[in-house]
Amino acid sequence: MAVSWLHRLAGLTPVPVFPALGMGGDVVLRRLAQATNIELVGSPRHASVLLVAGGVQPDLLEALRRVHDQLPWPSSSLWFRCEPLPELEDATRIDDIEALPGALAAIHRELLLQRRGSSPRLLPDNPPNPWEGLGDDGHGGEGMMGGVPYGRPMAMNMHDDIRDGLTLDSLTFRIGPFFPAFPPGMSAEVTVQGDLVQSWTTQSLPHLVALDPVFHDARQRSVPIARLELARVRYHLHRLFHGLRLAGWESAALHVLHLAMRLTSDSRADALRRRLERYGFFYLAALDGGVLEVEQARRVGGPASRAAGLDDDLRSEDANYQRLGFSPVFHNAGDTRARWQQILAEIEQSLQLAKQAAREDLHTQNSVAIETPRGPWSDERCPTDASRLLDEIIPGLEWDSALATIASLDIAALSDWPLVEDKPLTRSEERSS
Amino acid sequence: MILNEMVLPIIVVLAVLVGGAYSVAVMDRVIATRLGAPRAGNPWLSPLTRGAWLLVQQANVTEAPDGRAWRLAPALYLALAATGLALVPWSETLVATDLATSVVLWGSVEALATVVIFLHGWSANAPLALIGAYRYVALGLSYLLISMFVLIGVALPAESLQLTQVVMSQEGLWNVVRQPLGLPLFLVVGLGMTFWGPLNLADSTDLAGGTASEVSGPPRLVWDVARAAMLVAFSGIAASAFLGGWLGPWLSGPLWMVVKMLAVLAVLLWLGRVVPRVAPERCVTGMWVVLLPLAFVDLIWAGVAALWQ
Amino acid sequence: MNHGILVDIAFLLLAVLAVVSGWRVFRTDSMVRASFFLLLSFIAVGAIMLLLAAEYLGVAMFFMMGVEMMVMALFMVMFMMNPAGLNPMVMVHQHRISMGAGVTAFLVLGLMALLTRFPNRPLPAGLEPVASLGHEMLGGSMLIFESAAVVLLATMIGVVVLSSHRGRYGAANEGSLPPGLAPGGDPAGKPKEDQDGGHEHHHHHHH
Repeated sequence: MAVSWLHRLAGLTPVPVFPALGMGGDVVLRRLAQATNIELVGSPRHASVLLVAGGVQPDLLEALRRVHDQLPWPSSSLWFRCEPLPELEDATRIDDIEALPGALAAIHRELLLQRRGSSPRLLPDNPPNPWEGLGDDGHGGEGMMGGVPYGRPMAMNMHDDIRDGLTLDSLTFRIGPFFPAFPPGMSAEVTVQGDLVQSWTTQSLPHLVALDPVFHDARQRSVPIARLELARVRYHLHRLFHGLRLAGWESAALHVLHLAMRLTSDSRADALRRRLERYGFFYLAALDGGVLEVEQARRVGGPASRAAGLDDDLRSEDANYQRLGFSPVFHNAGDTRARWQQILAEIEQSLQLAKQAAREDLHTQNSVAIETPRGPWSDERCPTDASRLLDEIIPGLEWDSALATIASLDIAALSDWPLVEDKPLTRSEERSS
Repeated sequence: MILNEMVLPIIVVLAVLVGGAYSVAVMDRVIATRLGAPRAGNPWLSPLTRGAWLLVQQANVTEAPDGRAWRLAPALYLALAATGLALVPWSETLVATDLATSVVLWGSVEALATVVIFLHGWSANAPLALIGAYRYVALGLSYLLISMFVLIGVALPAESLQLTQVVMSQEGLWNVVRQPLGLPLFLVVGLGMTFWGPLNLADSTDLAGGTASEVSGPPRLVWDVARAAMLVAFSGIAASAFLGGWLGPWLSGPLWMVVKMLAVLAVLLWLGRVVPRVAPERCVTGMWVVLLPLAFVDLIWAGVAALWQ
Repeated sequence: MNHGILVDIAFLLLAVLAVVSGWRVFRTDSMVRASFFLLLSFIAVGAIMLLLAAEYLGVAMFFMMGVEMMVMALFMVMFMMNPAGLNPMVMVHQHRISMGAGVTAFLVLGLMALLTRFPNRPLPAGLEPVASLGHEMLGGSMLIFESAAVVLLATMIGVVVLSSHRGRYGAANEGSLPPGLAPGGDPAGKPKEDQDGGHEHHHHHHH
């Protein structure tokens, strides 16, 4: 079939990309959010190209195959810093992040101009189990109840409602590890009644989170405080970016990303705070809920613990931070709103510290124990995985609040390896500061 | 006669349906770019390229969906948008359906939209789409009453449920001034029934696209067009009910309508981009506890003003 | 102005749609589908009423049935054991009786429609269907009915507010207590835990 004008026209769309994030793959989100010809989508059904970014553990490959098969034709995949699945013979691998948008656009265009065939389906398109025609009506159970049609339990009134006593059918399903609203790698088995989460079991843990190399340097030797604080701000901004996108607020998320890109010790977050407050982020969005008890907050550590009223911050033990007049900011409520307010306050505080420290050219004194944006880090204590915490705090929340809570909590364990983020622009700016 | 009564109205409705949905896409794109979204290319072309892409994409299926309802729901939503557009009076004589109860028929369009959106999410047989559908019903039942009271408010001074009469009753003073609470409340209804921007609870990012999360290809195109067309139909009703419809100096009636509808659309699309999504619980509480009493106040205001005259 | 033949065709199509979708209500295997088939049947009837120049009643049928069927479908899905109504289940019980009742009702109504001699009264020229319907149905009691409607709505909202989990005395899931009848006294209306229900009930009557 000759390529029709419709296909040519279709080739001009921004590329709809579904990112499946492996280890350290979240760098692509930030890069692609700023690309003019890429549209990041939340469902594989809306994508033209599947971007697998970062290494995928062998036990997640089966889930990856399922995601791959959900893309409607014509579709293909691109593998970023990751070995393609052996079944996909003509899949492309790429390692240079700057070339990523171009490569995605090329694949999309080739697909639509029919110079590249669609990816084959990797799994058989069969129900996981046969329909078991038991019962009076063939629904797979006794009487009018029960049964496991297609191998899945039917929604049943098995659980009493935990909120208002209005017992509805509960529905159990598994979601993750490539669900974009979750931390990469995390999956969970969820039971909902309506959109109220009844129970939550974390099944696979989120991928380790990598920090900027400056934090690794800080554990070896004295580093400039300005650099350390700017890296901290960038880390928090990246998390805020994710939180705002989840709140359906693309324009504010991009604002945050711009700030992170052009970060210098003279940057200010006033405009960001004004925007978040004026347009009602703290008031309208689903930020009620996800309250951490003191003990739970300590298990997470970092800003989440300070948002729950703990004021432990290893920076107060560093002599030069004391010279800068550092004292930890904290909030008391311990809920999702308090965590985002904490993040915003720490961004402002770190920018302030960076500015002062750059002026006075101060370096860190304490290399034994440092406060990373993920939490305190020393030989005895390293931020560990806290995703089991979700099993305790998510039940009872509505879906929106549940996801907002997860986005506001930094629960992944710390990686031993520093972040590899190729951003020449930021590097040079950092050096000049 | 047949030409005037059958063909012309259909042509007007179809033209506005297509043109309106297209201009919604263009305006939304321009507003997004203004607010910092990195988008290259021609905004006039982008709706067409996207439409072309969805047309050539495969329409996928889920496991054991209610296939007919799933395919029908976008078309039904589009049909409801067309029904709404048919009620919009472009001038004293140019109205596709000049029903004596057109305000009530618009109310039914809002009610049936709830059914259709629920059906869209329900029939996909997927958890996230189903949650979106449930959520939409909660939202829909909340905004319907607000919409009814606000619309009864504009029917009072007109002493009629006919939109043309409602427009003519605004000869001296537009309803947006006469009933200051009406238009802001009605705009909330508009965002709700097209689940746009801050009130996009049905197709939201936390549900990976909600009721549309499992849809691809041509059905998704129809769904997107229908949402945009419903926004246009809503803006037509809002312009007629509150902004004096075709009334205005210098320009001809239909032109005034276009200007006013574009103004309403610009406000809605701008709101859709600058405000974060409202939490479902907060949204429902706000509608029942704050906006519904305000709608009562609006209605009493309109009633007292009608008695005064 | 003679659309006679078009109106006839529209009537026939709508009538067939109403009957067929009404029949499908009992043949489908899901509660949601059944509700929406019923809605479709009602919409067809509403459209027929529009053809009969009952402009208000016809349109009111659309929105009333729209909301009604939506709520019905949702509640059936929520409270019955069919997962979101997508798994098959038989929608009818007591087949013989219901079939008999259905056929009888259809025949009786059909015979009434066919055998009754309807008066031949064309619409008066200046008829205002909405206003005349209002006077016909409510007449001088308009204000009473309007007030009753507002009171009913307020009652419904009040009931929801009182029974929702954020009740008058705090969140329902926190075992909150109403205040005592006397300062510092026992919470009003709270059964004592060491007594059984019947005794408690009795006790209350003496108060």
